[in-house]
Amino acid sequence: MTALIEARGVSKRFRQHRRFPGLLGAFKTLVTTEYSEVTAVADIGFDIAAGEAVGYLGPNGAGKSTMIKMMTGILVPSDGTLSVLGRTPHLERMANARQIGVVFGQRSQLWWDLPLIDSFTLHQRIYDIPLARYQDNLARFSELLDLKPFLDRAVRQLSLGQRMRAEIVMSLLHDPKILFLDEPTIGLDVVAKDAVRRFLAEINRERGVTIILTTHDLQDIETICPRLIMVDQAKLIFDGELGKLRSALGSARRLTLEFATDPGPVILSTATLTSDDGLIKHYLLERDDVSLVQVLSEVGNDRDLKDVALHEPNIEEVIRSFYQRRNTAAAITP
Amino acid sequence: MRRTLGTLLLLVSMYIKSQMEYRGAFWLDRLAQIVSYGAVLLGMWILLQKFQLLGGWNWPELALLFSFQLLAYALGASVSFTQLRNLDDLVRLGTLDALLTKPINTWAYLIFSGLNIGYAGHIILAIPVLVWALLAAQVSWSIGTALFFVGSLLSAMSVTGAVITMIGATAMIWVRSNHLFAIFFGFWELTRYPLNIFPAGIQAVMLTIVPLAYISAVPVAVLLDKPVPLLGDFAWLAALLAGPLLTLIAIAHWRYAMSRYQGAGG
Repeated sequence: MTALIEARGVSKRFRQHRRFPGLLGAFKTLVTTEYSEVTAVADIGFDIAAGEAVGYLGPNGAGKSTMIKMMTGILVPSDGTLSVLGRTPHLERMANARQIGVVFGQRSQLWWDLPLIDSFTLHQRIYDIPLARYQDNLARFSELLDLKPFLDRAVRQLSLGQRMRAEIVMSLLHDPKILFLDEPTIGLDVVAKDAVRRFLAEINRERGVTIILTTHDLQDIETICPRLIMVDQAKLIFDGELGKLRSALGSARRLTLEFATDPGPVILSTATLTSDDGLIKHYLLERDDVSLVQVLSEVGNDRDLKDVALHEPNIEEVIRSFYQRRNTAAAITP
Repeated sequence: MRRTLGTLLLLVSMYIKSQMEYRGAFWLDRLAQIVSYGAVLLGMWILLQKFQLLGGWNWPELALLFSFQLLAYALGASVSFTQLRNLDDLVRLGTLDALLTKPINTWAYLIFSGLNIGYAGHIILAIPVLVWALLAAQVSWSIGTALFFVGSLLSAMSVTGAVITMIGATAMIWVRSNHLFAIFFGFWELTRYPLNIFPAGIQAVMLTIVPLAYISAVPVAVLLDKPVPLLGDFAWLAALLAGPLLTLIAIAHWRYAMSRYQGAGG
């Protein structure tokens, strides 16, 4: 399958003048000629094929939005090559713009004081969408995301959830091949998030629109994106199926053993004791190759074991424990 | 081309429609503008009652200078100022990023989506004053003078639009551009007066680095056949060429600023 998006060793560095702390520092900042370079994206490479839905995940400042801005042609990469729909995005920004849709979660593209339908009409004109196609798409998407009741209402009178649904519909009216979404569910309530997620999953499945989505919300990725690209401190740390993330990041399972009578400390070679409440003991299974049967056979039959609970870490825990370990490592590394 | 023009006209109509959402405020603003510029004109009139001449210019000539400046500014600024003054907000808040993903010329979108009908107040005041002053001042009319009047007004309009575009575009490099607008308006206030009343240094600045003398002092002096400092006999040519030349420089500067755009982070 040919890739719609190809990134090879893509980096983006920003040059900033140095900032100094304190009041004196503020004056020094005003006149300084010292510059520092901030790397927002470092040597990132991936291929994304037509019809894929990819979650682009990372903490604040990891370079997610910068990567989206390079793929949409807004920013120019400092190094590496980037190809979107066979074009170099920043050199052929206008040509690419006709075939991509972009939604920025925190930046509305709707006309605040005018009825919602006016923003859609303008979009039809800017993208030169044939009228019949525009009307078909508008009817279909409005129905799926329930926009009809407020198409004639001024955008400023809409709720955040209604506005976001409208932004997403607008980004799809010109039948883009790729839809970029930068934090599309940010600030939405549970119902609105769910509606947006289900809509995006359906658009990807039924229309084959390739979706690239940055988010903090793992539920977005679990619902929409079978593939996850994870970045941290500008670098790519994981690219693959969501299900493989746990083993890739090496997050441990947790095991709870409950005894009928307190057996005293139970130290095992297959699991690490993390807390001991007498009757209930908690362990971490740090090795993936250790099975529950192996642990239980090490515990043995003579300890009056009453109950066993194994907790598979959910994706949020996997990622949180990864960042915690990284921060601890950073703290002890001078 | 026709389609693009249609899109741009739709942008204009949408902007006017959104302005009309606040009709009361709109007309009150216009009234405030007429009163505030009227007060400046009244101040000049009072001054001239006392001193008769300012730098060799009498009352009708100064009224011509004032109204020419106000009209050229209003026409030039309506296609640039409000739109590009807000450009630093668009950069800071990331709204420009969204605009850059649309298949339409960014400058054209910005200008037409904010084509400011709010300058109606300036124009309503400037036109009657201009007509009266053209009749009252000693202009030796000929076809050449009439053509020069129209040409230099268009040129002055372009100078306004071009300088504002250049200032606005710096927001794409430095994120903020408001301080440059403050400098612009500082010099702009001086353009209500004849160039020869200022020290040579300021005259030179206003003819070169901050070329706002071409908005009013130079073309009106030519029209009234008065000497123009530093430019001499070439003043008429400079007045006509300043607009097109600065427009070309503004286009180049805009392109350069777009190529340097790095966003505001986030």
